[in-house]
This record gives sequence, structure tokens and C-alpha cells, in this order.
Amino acid sequence: MKIDASQPLEYGTEENRNRIFGFWLFLGAEIALFATLFTVYFVLADRHASGPSGAEIFEITPVLLETFVLLTSSFTIGLAVHAMRLGLKKQMMIFMIITLLLGAGFLGIEIFEFFTYVHEGVTLSTSAFASSLFTLLGTHGAHVTFGLLWGTAILIQLKKYGLDHSTANKSFIFSLYWHFLDVVWIFIFSFVYLKGLM
Amino acid sequence: MLKQLFPIKHVAGYISSLVLSAVALVVLLDIPAGSKMAILLVTAVLQAAVQLMLFMHVGESEDKKSVYINIAYALFVALVTILGTLFIFVWGWYS
Repeated sequence: MKIDASQPLEYGTEENRNRIFGFWLFLGAEIALFATLFTVYFVLADRHASGPSGAEIFEITPVLLETFVLLTSSFTIGLAVHAMRLGLKKQMMIFMIITLLLGAGFLGIEIFEFFTYVHEGVTLSTSAFASSLFTLLGTHGAHVTFGLLWGTAILIQLKKYGLDHSTANKSFIFSLYWHFLDVVWIFIFSFVYLKGLM
Repeated sequence: MLKQLFPIKHVAGYISSLVLSAVALVVLLDIPAGSKMAILLVTAVLQAAVQLMLFMHVGESEDKKSVYINIAYALFVALVTILGTLFIFVWGWYS
């Protein structure tokens, strides 16, 4: 294994660099995936049949809370990678734990929101609008859920093995994933909720 | 220590993303309908750029050219999918 000491740990070996590049390719595919889900939602947003429309069920307060929580978690995972590059393992882990707690908070609000929708008579099968809404939001929420498990697994490895080429690489790739989910949420916030409410 | 853990670049990126989210809220006020979509598009794209440039460090690696091409291609596919579908099904070319 050839180690390049002039690079940060996560870029230190050729395998590491390839993994990061490979993850960028994966994110490209994720962009295409979410584009198709947004497309379906945009086409069907007004087809709410006999059920309520978006303007009738969307509430701005929980959405603002979700946005704030997710933006903050994106900030803290950025700080975690920054601390990692300074070699500060403890601070990095604290930032990662905060990130995951915020992620769990986001998920909690979203689940509560889904409960409210169902209570108001909007389920997956209510209308084309409802199906496409739940599919888009649910796919994002499922990504966050997976991120929570993935991040926890990385934290355990950091605790067990410390900061090395492998764990630094995994942590950096996780941060890319988390920032990407934040970007997707920004588009949901703008083009599903705000557009639905305006 | 605090300054070391909270670099100004990250703090500025965080604050600007909060500000951009707040600015997007003006579409809920009584402003000309035509400007609303434009405001949402600008704030969302700027926020995505903040994440990509400041937090994801796109462009820091040796293979940055390939990363840029990959992202550009993905965005191209995304835009063709979204705009092409809207063109046919919503904006009335088909009907």
C-alpha cells in the first residue's frame, strides 16, 4: 500500500482516492434517482382527486424545524471532517454524534408529520398527489435512516480502531452522503413545501 | 481552540444557508406570482452550491475534473428528465 503523506488521511492511498471518486459517481446516480421522483411529483402535484391538496395539509412550522435541524447537522458533519483533518479524534466523534442526534430529530419530526397526514386522511393510496409525495419524502427519509445506521457503524469503528486511512476515508465519504441529503432536502423544502403553500 | 474547531469558512457557509432558507420564505408573502419561482430557484441553487463547494470540498482532489464532469452530467440528466417531462405533460405540448 503506497501512502502519500502529503495528502489528508482520507486521500492517503490510491484505494482511498478511488473510493472517494467512486462515491461521487454514486452521488451522480442519486441525483438522477431523485430527479425522477421530483419529476413524478411535479406532474402529479395537482391530481389530488377527492383528497386534500398540498396547500391544505402542509404546515410550515414542522417543515421549518426540519430544515433548521438538517442544515445544522450538515454544518456539524462538516466540522467533524474539519476536526478529523486536524487529527482531533475526540472532537470529531462529538461532532459526529451531534450530527446523528440531529438526524434522528429530523426523522422524528418527519414521522410525526406523516402521522398527521394519515390522520387527516392522506395515505399512500389517497391520490396520485399523495402517492408521489410519500414516495419522494419517504425515499429521502429512508436515506436519512440508512445514514443514521451507517454513521453509527463508523463511530464504533472510530472508537475501536482510531483514526487511520480506512476510518478517515469512511468518515469523509459519510460526510459527502450527509451533505448530499441536505441538498435534496433543500429542493424538497423549496419545490414541495414552499411551492405547495404559495 | 474554539476558533480552530469552528473555522470561519464553515460558520459563514452555515449562516448563509440559514439566511437563504429564510429568504426563500418571502414566496409565502403577497408578492408578484411571477417572481416566486425565480426566487425559489435562485435560493435553492445557491444553497446547493454552498454545500458542494464549502462543505463537500468538491475540487480539492487530483481527479477533480472527472468529479466535475460526473456532477455536470448527472445534473444534465436530472434537468432533461424534469424539464422534458414537464414540457410534455404539464406545459401543454402534448395536449
